[in-house]
Amino acid sequence: MHAPHQGGRPGRTGPYRVVTGLDDGASGMPVPEGRYIARSADGGRTVLISVPTEGADPLRFMAEADSSRYLLGPWSSPATELAGPDEAPWHARPYLPALPLPTALLVHGGPLPERTVRAIGAALVETLSIGHGQGLAHAGVSPAAVLLAADGPRLGCFGAVRVAAPDGVPRSGLPGLESGSLPPEQAAGGRPDPMGDIYALGATLAYAATGHTVPESHQFPAALRAVLRRCVSRDPAARPRPAELLDVFSAVGAPVTGPASSPAPAPHPATEVDQRPASRAEAVLGPGWLPGRVIAAIAHQSARVLAAEPSARQPVTTHRQD
Amino acid sequence: MLFPLTHDDPYELGSYRLTARLGSGGMGTVYLGRSPGGRGIALKTMHARIAADPQLRSRFRLETDAARVIGGRYGAEVVAADPFAETPWLATEYVLGPPLDEAVDRSGPLPETSVRALGAALCGALGQLHLSEVVHRDLKPSNIIVTAYGPKVIDFGIARAIGDDRLTRTGAAVGTPAFMSPEQATDQEHTPAGDVFALAAVLVFAATGRGPFGDGRPADLLYRVRFTEPDLSAVPAALAPVLAHALAKDPSQRPTTAALGAQLHDGSGEFADHLPDLVLDEIGRRATEVWQFTPARLPAPAQEPPPPPAAPPEPTGLSRRRLLIVGGGSVAGLAAAGVGSWALSKGDDPAAPFRKPTPGPSVRPLPKKKLDSLWQKQVAGPPDDLIPAAPIAARDLAMLVAGTGLAAFNATSGGVAWVSDKGERTWQLAPDGDELYQLLEPKGAEGHKGDPWPLQLASVDLTSGRAHKPLAEFSDLNGVMYENQLLCVSDGVLYVVAGKGEYSMDGFLPSQSWSVFAIDADTGKRRWSKPLPSRPDGSDRLHFLSATVVGNRLVALQETNGGKVRVIARDTRTGDVIWDKPLAVAKPDSVRLPLTVDRDHVYLGCGQLRALRLSDGGQAWSSGSARPGRTYGPPSVKDGVLYAVEKGTGLVAADARSGKPKWVERGGNGVDAAVTDRPVVGSDHVYRKGAGTLAAIDLSSRTPARLYKTSGDRFIAQERSNVVIALGGHFFAAFPLQ
Repeated sequence: MHAPHQGGRPGRTGPYRVVTGLDDGASGMPVPEGRYIARSADGGRTVLISVPTEGADPLRFMAEADSSRYLLGPWSSPATELAGPDEAPWHARPYLPALPLPTALLVHGGPLPERTVRAIGAALVETLSIGHGQGLAHAGVSPAAVLLAADGPRLGCFGAVRVAAPDGVPRSGLPGLESGSLPPEQAAGGRPDPMGDIYALGATLAYAATGHTVPESHQFPAALRAVLRRCVSRDPAARPRPAELLDVFSAVGAPVTGPASSPAPAPHPATEVDQRPASRAEAVLGPGWLPGRVIAAIAHQSARVLAAEPSARQPVTTHRQD
Repeated sequence: MLFPLTHDDPYELGSYRLTARLGSGGMGTVYLGRSPGGRGIALKTMHARIAADPQLRSRFRLETDAARVIGGRYGAEVVAADPFAETPWLATEYVLGPPLDEAVDRSGPLPETSVRALGAALCGALGQLHLSEVVHRDLKPSNIIVTAYGPKVIDFGIARAIGDDRLTRTGAAVGTPAFMSPEQATDQEHTPAGDVFALAAVLVFAATGRGPFGDGRPADLLYRVRFTEPDLSAVPAALAPVLAHALAKDPSQRPTTAALGAQLHDGSGEFADHLPDLVLDEIGRRATEVWQFTPARLPAPAQEPPPPPAAPPEPTGLSRRRLLIVGGGSVAGLAAAGVGSWALSKGDDPAAPFRKPTPGPSVRPLPKKKLDSLWQKQVAGPPDDLIPAAPIAARDLAMLVAGTGLAAFNATSGGVAWVSDKGERTWQLAPDGDELYQLLEPKGAEGHKGDPWPLQLASVDLTSGRAHKPLAEFSDLNGVMYENQLLCVSDGVLYVVAGKGEYSMDGFLPSQSWSVFAIDADTGKRRWSKPLPSRPDGSDRLHFLSATVVGNRLVALQETNGGKVRVIARDTRTGDVIWDKPLAVAKPDSVRLPLTVDRDHVYLGCGQLRALRLSDGGQAWSSGSARPGRTYGPPSVKDGVLYAVEKGTGLVAADARSGKPKWVERGGNGVDAAVTDRPVVGSDHVYRKGAGTLAAIDLSSRTPARLYKTSGDRFIAQERSNVVIALGGHFFAAFPLQ
């Protein structure tokens, strides 16, 4: 998918000229939107731009983009710029070198280390919790929605489930939705809610840890097996709460007991630091949270995009092929 | 690191628009820029004034050619160049990674696997150059960028031009000889085997944090490069013989790049697999930073910098005492802006003396009031490159050692109070309240011929800069010793390090005996003396990095012969060591700063923030529990509150007694706050360094109330005059302390 446009779209979207596609088709993971790295005509701004996949409802696509503008937290990916009312739909945010999670598994050569999975998990739980506190169910968590930047993940594809089909319409097998990370109640047409995000998160982390959103039980890292399996319970009420997940993901090295044992009360966050929500995810995102080859591929993407001259129309690969 | 442009930087070079500064030196500046299509590039320039010399301009052209020869795999890919422009420029890819010296400073010595992979890749780079009959001649850690896919070699010509320039002027090779081959040190032909020597020296640095011939004065290094065996004691055992072979004095004995590469590494895995986490983290940070940096241009300073010096830059790198022997010639006077060793410092030197203001489009500078210093003076560099100058405050004065001696400015007006041209040394001066004390320099140059001279101590007349009559004199101590130190003065007691025995120009001698003394200023008598370990032959590492007195404790940072730092507390009454703890630092010089103490604790930054009990040296608390994984600059303490910069966050405040975090700087400006110096605490604001700025953090809103533009890297409070004194680059400046 290196073609700089899709669905007959020109290499120019809004005021931006496409430099390269973000996603690498090689993983086979569905992506709910077209994502491109693009640059303003004067060369001064580089953005990550999203366009709907073919057949998606442009009004629902833009409505979700509009809601995403209010997302908070360091690891969300709110749209900062939207297409005008008379334009073909797109939305954009400033470019940051980052790999989609499926690409990260490809360059790493397999499932990611447990430390990386925990760090991604902690950051995404915090991000989802902030959204839930604002009354926003993400409804789009999937492997492709997670971008890995050098300083932490970014959660994109806000509202992808709602874009794919309105509530009340079954969503199984719709293009762009990854079946393993689609909560069963949403697949049946149910209205997305916070507990659905927990299901999708569990499946996405299972993918990071095993390469499959629906892995065999023995493939999970032992310390995360129990909690991830509870995330993907069919019964939303059986899924763990964000506070428990945060405890598990940020407890580095500590083994996790089964679901029956009552979860330890969350240690009180460091509220001594006033005026700034203490972030436990930030603490697990220190040096070493990403494997070397993934950092190398992020740096490589940064260098390639930096060196790109869009006018020269040379193809740009976003991760190293050799 | 990216820095804002300064007001007189060009807006464009060729068709490239400049967006940030990457670094600056005496010869030129390197910028980040972008093409009309938005391609990001690094633009290296040579100052027009320097390019006026046809020989130096042709060097620039040669560098351009060499960069093209090495190509994009092992070097920075050349995009375009105009060596004939008034300001010659070279546009290359912007290489995303830290220079090797910064990588080691930041992460400590690299593990053996990194060193091997790095070495093998550098062998490939040199091999490619040599095939094209180009010899690098200036391979050193700062010229090697560590990227995720392997090292890239940069900087072929400019540094070499500097070296040659000095060669012709002084008849002695100076510069950075730590990585120079013996044949190059004696000005013989430098062949590919010379590059092999330099590569091995670079790998010793990567593996240990030190070059194979140590640090120190250029002349000493040159001697050691030629005549002494490399120090490979800290190199991993399996690597040492390989590097020793490549460091053979006889060029014909050294391996070829291909043979060395094969011995170092079998080529397995990807380069990134061999890098430690901290280096990978820095690569990721730089790959991201370049997209998050907002282009900015600093306003013009309040006072225009003085006109360029009429005289050509004086040679640097010669140690002060050599110059004295030569006849006491003045290196560079105050305000005459001689080019000291600082001229080659990287990064924020936004007012390098050579740059011609370049008129650009009409962008108005920001309002002056908000950013101006109260005053700013251009000063010469320190007389010796061993130890950087440090600002000193006493009475209404701001003082420093620059050029050939001590200078004092009125802290309020910036007016020159006096200049004492007596060759004072930063480490032989110490204030105590309203007094300043010094170890006296022997009169005249004859004292330097090697004859012992009594150690004399005196206070300085702060109205004239002249020393008072000596308050003490000790004929058994050799006052000629360059390495004597006045550690600190408290309650009329001077704490002094002094040596007995023969003096050597080339550093310590094992035959010397060294002690630390407490000397009563009133009686001129020794209260106690305690022996110090002998330094190895030729070492130039002063015994102490810092010292202070609190209560009845003399707390000091002492450097061991192994280059480690220990925190040592002595009883001020007896000199007995009460406790002695290691302090883990990558480089001892990074803690050559005033110590932060109060009645209960010694506070240490650099890594975690920690408090050691004054009573027994035990750890009272550390930031590891409340803020795990964070690193901090050196702290300051005032009224029971500890202030320090947390890397990536900005200023943080903690309860000094318990270590509990109190608050964190807000406003998003703290990301680039520097962890190199202590914050300065005022009544309503705390001042901390940012990228090319001094930020005043409001204590009630906890956000930056003001950003002052400054190239300063050392800051102290001058409380009587209510100013913050800044020193850095060639500038000494004052900002309001509120």
